[in-house]
Amino acid sequence: MKTIKLFLTLFIIFSFISCDDYVDYDAKEDYQVVAEDYFASESDFEAALIGVYDVLQWTTYNVMIGDIASDNSLCGGESATDVIGLQRIDDFLTIADNDQLDRIWRYMYEGINRANYLVENIDKLDSERKESLYGEVYFLRAYFYFELVKFFGDVPLFVDRRLTASDSGTLKRTSVAEVYNQIENDLNSAVLALPSAQSERGRATRSAAQSLLGKVQLYQQKYDEAASSLEQVIGVFGLVDDFGSQFLRQGENGVESIFEIQHTNTSNWYDWGFVPPGTEGNFMIIHHGIRGYSGPVYAQGWSFNLPTQELVDAYQVGDNRKDYTILDIESFSNANGASYTTGYEHTGYFNNKYIPRAGETDAQPELNYLTNYRAIRYADVLLMAAEANALKSSPDFSKATNYLNQVRERAFGNSDNNLVFVSQDGLVKAILDERRLELAMEGHRFFDLVRTGQASSELEGFISGKHELFPIPQTEIDISGLTQNPGY
Amino acid sequence: MKKLINYLFFTILFSGIAFSQQITGIVFDSETGSPLPGATVVVKGTDVGTNTDFDGNFVLPNVGMNSIIVVSYLGYKSKDVEVVSQNVIQVSLVSEANALDEIVVLGYGVQNSKKVSGAVSSVSAESISKLQPTRIEDALQGSASGVNIITNPNPGAGATVIIRGISSNSGNAPLVVIDGVPQSLSDLNALPPSDISKIDILKDASTAALYGSRGGNGVILVTTKSGFFNQPVKFTFNSSYGMQQVLKTIDVLNATEYASILNEASVASGGSLIYPNLSGLGEGTDWQDSVINDAPLSNQNLSISGGTDSSKYYLSGAFSGTEGVVAGGAKSYFDRLNLTGNFTSKINDKLTAVFNTTYTNIKGSNVNPLNNALNFDPTVPLLDNNQFGISNTITQEIINPLAQLNDTYNKDNTNKFNGKFEIQYELIDGLKVTSRLGYTYADVFNKSFTPLRFYGVGHNQTTANADLTPIFSTDPETGEVTQLYHNSVTESKNNYWQATYEIFGNYNFQINELNNFDVVLGYSIYKAAGSGVSATQEDILENSWEFADITAATGTQEQARIGNYQYESRNLSYIARIDYDYNEKYLAAFTIRRDGSKNFGNENKFGYFPSASVGWIASSEDFFNLKNVSFLKIRASYGTVGNDTAYPQYSRISTFPKYVFNGSINTGSTLLTIPNNALSWENQIQQNYGIDLRFFEDKFSLSTDYYIKSVDDLLFNPTLSGYLGIPQYPIANIGSTETQGIDASISYNNIFKNGLSISASATFSTFDSKVTAINNGEKYIWLSGYGIPYKNLTRFEEGESPGYFFGYVTDGIFQSQSEIDNHANQPNAAPGDIRFKDLNGDGVIDDLDRKKIGDPFAEYTIGFNFNLEYQGFDFFLTTYASIGNDIYRAYERNLNYTNRFASSLDRWRGPGTSNTEPRATFIDSNNNLRQSDRYVEDGSYFRIRNLELGYSLPKSSFDTIGIDKVRIYAQAKNLATFTEYSGYDPEISNGVFDTGIDRGTYPLPRIVSLGFNITF
Repeated sequence: MKTIKLFLTLFIIFSFISCDDYVDYDAKEDYQVVAEDYFASESDFEAALIGVYDVLQWTTYNVMIGDIASDNSLCGGESATDVIGLQRIDDFLTIADNDQLDRIWRYMYEGINRANYLVENIDKLDSERKESLYGEVYFLRAYFYFELVKFFGDVPLFVDRRLTASDSGTLKRTSVAEVYNQIENDLNSAVLALPSAQSERGRATRSAAQSLLGKVQLYQQKYDEAASSLEQVIGVFGLVDDFGSQFLRQGENGVESIFEIQHTNTSNWYDWGFVPPGTEGNFMIIHHGIRGYSGPVYAQGWSFNLPTQELVDAYQVGDNRKDYTILDIESFSNANGASYTTGYEHTGYFNNKYIPRAGETDAQPELNYLTNYRAIRYADVLLMAAEANALKSSPDFSKATNYLNQVRERAFGNSDNNLVFVSQDGLVKAILDERRLELAMEGHRFFDLVRTGQASSELEGFISGKHELFPIPQTEIDISGLTQNPGY
Repeated sequence: MKKLINYLFFTILFSGIAFSQQITGIVFDSETGSPLPGATVVVKGTDVGTNTDFDGNFVLPNVGMNSIIVVSYLGYKSKDVEVVSQNVIQVSLVSEANALDEIVVLGYGVQNSKKVSGAVSSVSAESISKLQPTRIEDALQGSASGVNIITNPNPGAGATVIIRGISSNSGNAPLVVIDGVPQSLSDLNALPPSDISKIDILKDASTAALYGSRGGNGVILVTTKSGFFNQPVKFTFNSSYGMQQVLKTIDVLNATEYASILNEASVASGGSLIYPNLSGLGEGTDWQDSVINDAPLSNQNLSISGGTDSSKYYLSGAFSGTEGVVAGGAKSYFDRLNLTGNFTSKINDKLTAVFNTTYTNIKGSNVNPLNNALNFDPTVPLLDNNQFGISNTITQEIINPLAQLNDTYNKDNTNKFNGKFEIQYELIDGLKVTSRLGYTYADVFNKSFTPLRFYGVGHNQTTANADLTPIFSTDPETGEVTQLYHNSVTESKNNYWQATYEIFGNYNFQINELNNFDVVLGYSIYKAAGSGVSATQEDILENSWEFADITAATGTQEQARIGNYQYESRNLSYIARIDYDYNEKYLAAFTIRRDGSKNFGNENKFGYFPSASVGWIASSEDFFNLKNVSFLKIRASYGTVGNDTAYPQYSRISTFPKYVFNGSINTGSTLLTIPNNALSWENQIQQNYGIDLRFFEDKFSLSTDYYIKSVDDLLFNPTLSGYLGIPQYPIANIGSTETQGIDASISYNNIFKNGLSISASATFSTFDSKVTAINNGEKYIWLSGYGIPYKNLTRFEEGESPGYFFGYVTDGIFQSQSEIDNHANQPNAAPGDIRFKDLNGDGVIDDLDRKKIGDPFAEYTIGFNFNLEYQGFDFFLTTYASIGNDIYRAYERNLNYTNRFASSLDRWRGPGTSNTEPRATFIDSNNNLRQSDRYVEDGSYFRIRNLELGYSLPKSSFDTIGIDKVRIYAQAKNLATFTEYSGYDPEISNGVFDTGIDRGTYPLPRIVSLGFNITF
């Protein structure tokens, strides 16, 4: 027994040398900032706001789908299965299992959660900057919710805090009307809080909030409200003289640009598994590049989002916008000695507004195109204002015609092609046609067709009652038990 | 020494009981047959004794009939022999190294294998030295039942090791313990097989539970060599040199065949002929031939061992050099140098110190151009105007494999120390306390260089002009000139170390002579940490590897990239084990470990892993008299082990988000991770039932086990609602699996009177793993895939076997439009396209029509070893068979202009021409390339792994110069493989869940080598 005692004594002595807290963990061991310590200073709020802006850069597919799903362009790519999700959308064969739609869903909600994280901590900030900072937060949250409503209709709505893992599967879809109501609330708050001009290019301004508010109201056919919202912006901005120049590097953040998603070619971090969130470049641009291109001005890319002959033919002779919107690769190569190869659904045309241009990328070239996305242009506002004025309860046709003709005069370089008011239907039709020509390949067409009820007549394969909305991602149906949109 | 003193004591005490008779005999080594000079021969119970002479002979006068003689020799096991006649007595002694076979190394102690009631497989030094593996895992293949080894022939690459099935999605690698010190599977890479004395594999819960939360995938215990007390200094030198050769290449199209298919595909897609004239094309270039070469491999090792009565030592130096059969030379090689010193010193009667150290240096370089070799255009010449041939049509990914070799530069250099310092103190008889500090320390340096490259104008990997000058691009608006691509060099320095401090006591005692107890009690502190820094800079002078160093890079500060990381894990464990037996007849063992880990959530820092086993040696019962059955043991065990692949939990603010204001990047923040405070290890419950049998005086033995492993709480990244955005969700314990299997081994050993010695053994392993629950919402996760664009292939899914292939099922080829019309709606199909089965019968071919199309893991594996020795000759054969493993052929790139495979010669060219291969077209509107059973092949194989013939020169020819043994041998590894698989080789390993996906796997070469061993 003595030996056992001795043995036990030894064992106990050694056991005390180390204690159970040896396996405790403190994140500071790994030099990590944890949530519990955050939002201690104003700079933390500014950083978190940048985190919300960051998500704007991930709207690559949101924009591309706006044209691919419409009659403006074909999906293209390398082959029929290259980015199958976009191919299916192009062909109206969309199913709920769609990687691109899944990304849109998750990314927009990431933006909303990042915005909500700031809202959740709003009481911790006490500074003069507070009001305008939260104005930006509300603007961005509205932007993301609007994207969701455009694509998916009813979506889960939450505004007071960032969700945690335990919220998974607990939310249901909220009606479009309620979501729009929230978007308008956020934008109204933003209009009050935001300055008319920002010292840093890229931040949301009061005009941006007013323009987006008008657009959201237009989508709801609230023409009176839309007209008054958009009217606030009229005259504050102007049209550039040379239509094409605003899509070039030098034209970025120009006089016509109301809200522009910013990109740069100076980020050198990349991980192909984490694109686009990992880059500050515009990942959309490489998609639109000419396959196997070698020559001046442009750079090669992946030949997606190819303008159709129908779009090309829609431009009248003398319309300057045609060549700035659409690159006719055959005639360009012949004139400039360039060479290229053809990919899937080659139409001979490329998206000249957002296309890889020589010298505009760096480091990992596919990911770092510096091209900004002109999310809200003054021409867009003019046409929306024209539409709202033409359709509001007491229509103002002369105003509507005037706004429309401002856009047309710039397009043709003269007033010869100005339209004269004949009837309300004729004017509305003319405004909508003008939207196509002015905003082609900028991601608006499909949503304009849907909101104005023209989609089923204009788009082959479009099924009314189904294709107005995209399917809720299948994973979300499975995990969260959400209901699916009709027809999917 | 103690034994000798005892013998002396007894011989004095009982001297003088005898009647006259002279006996003679010879003592020899059981393994080599060589005589043992100087062995001690004593008549038991007397002081009569002698030593053998130089030829192992002895003469003893006055020995009584039926008396027992005891023969002993240093480094060998003593043997008792009964004198039954006047014939010459032949005594074969088994060297202590082999005697280890009967001792099983368990965690924190050893046990006589007879008394083990858990499930353990052992591999001896002898079979390791015969196999001459470059890596130790290779020696386990087929030698240990229940252990599946899938080797990777890429120089320096590790094998996949699976012990008893796949029970987890996150970690299936067994724990490796080298001389009592926990390490990882990759640390086996650093050990020279020649230094290994024994490997024991703990397979069931009752043995592995002593390693608690890390024992769930089994434990490989490696014992390295040491000297013996009182052993004269012994030198051993082994040297071998071999040639590796690839036996099989994949049948791809030659230039003429390729061009004609391209013509056909182009025309079918509305294009024109690409090669209007086929006549001059001929065979074209065989790209596989251009990169596959015979390559040498060599192994040298020298060891010196010996001991005095108070100390023993083992010193060794080993060098192993392997060149890759693909690429080879400086581009693909693996060199390893080891220096080992193991010392044991008895400081006094009670105190012993052990000091083991191994230094390892590993250098290597790696490239695998096979994917390019298989897919590149055969009409392109190797060289074109002294530049690598360029394809004008392939513009993505696939490049000239020679150009790839030329443009790939990397090297790594690892310096590593590992070992232990141990003190054993015998407090009283039978009670020993061991205090052990084990450590590993390694520095790993990597460098790689990406030059500016040219693979054709417009190729997406081209980064330079044809003359390798940089490409400049001029902004048409601003006239600003920028260099589009830059060369770059990346250097990384990584360091990792781990230390384990353990103190434990072993106490053996008896109660009433019959109740034997063996008790272990102890605790262990473990810490592992690592850190690394990497840096990349651009613009290397001359675009050359010679200047590829950050020192010589001229890039600006903005071009530089740096990265770093660090980690640390800490574990704290308490262990206890009691082994009990009653008269070596009834066995029982109870084990418990309390494990704590830094990586677990706050609410679950510690867990208990108990296990118990029982055994019955029926053959020890008096009533047991089954004829010819010399030994029978029945075993059963039940217990809990774990798997701790978790990481620390905290809510992390990431500063990764960025946005651009005023044209420059601003750093933002977001909440990136959400902690799971309830996170714990994967809990595994194992049952094991086994039987051990020996027949015909132990000549035959059979051991078989049946086991059930069930894991709850698998660690998964749950897929949460998309409206949570994209933060990193915490892993959670939300899945379960169940594995059942059978391990069996059978062996035969016999030494015939004429000196012929035969041993043969076979192992059989089978398991059936099933995922029983995944509560992540989707009920499955994707594990792995292939291709560009990436295609998911393997799944871990509820109700299925882990890692199975998931895809469409083909149903021949559409011969006509009417067949398409009569089939379920398969969008954009044309005659000549593949018909896919409408599995769910909904009239549409879509994602829902996918199912299990293959399983990469074998249904069963069989290993066979055969060893024959006779008059100095030895013959050794091992074979291995893997049955029922499927392979997915993923090396076919299938771009329009990449090369095709021989199967495409049987393609559809009109109604009735083919029902297996689709038409050639550039517009694959039907997506014939989708994941389907079209790419799944049966990968079953039978391999003659090793055939070796050796000859030990007669001792008489060199004993005058002091040499004990000279053996020369010839060896052929991977001599022949019998398989239906069309790729290089059916053994495809890249990690557990990449098993069976052939992305252009490195071919397993045949190795023919010659070597010799000298002992002196």
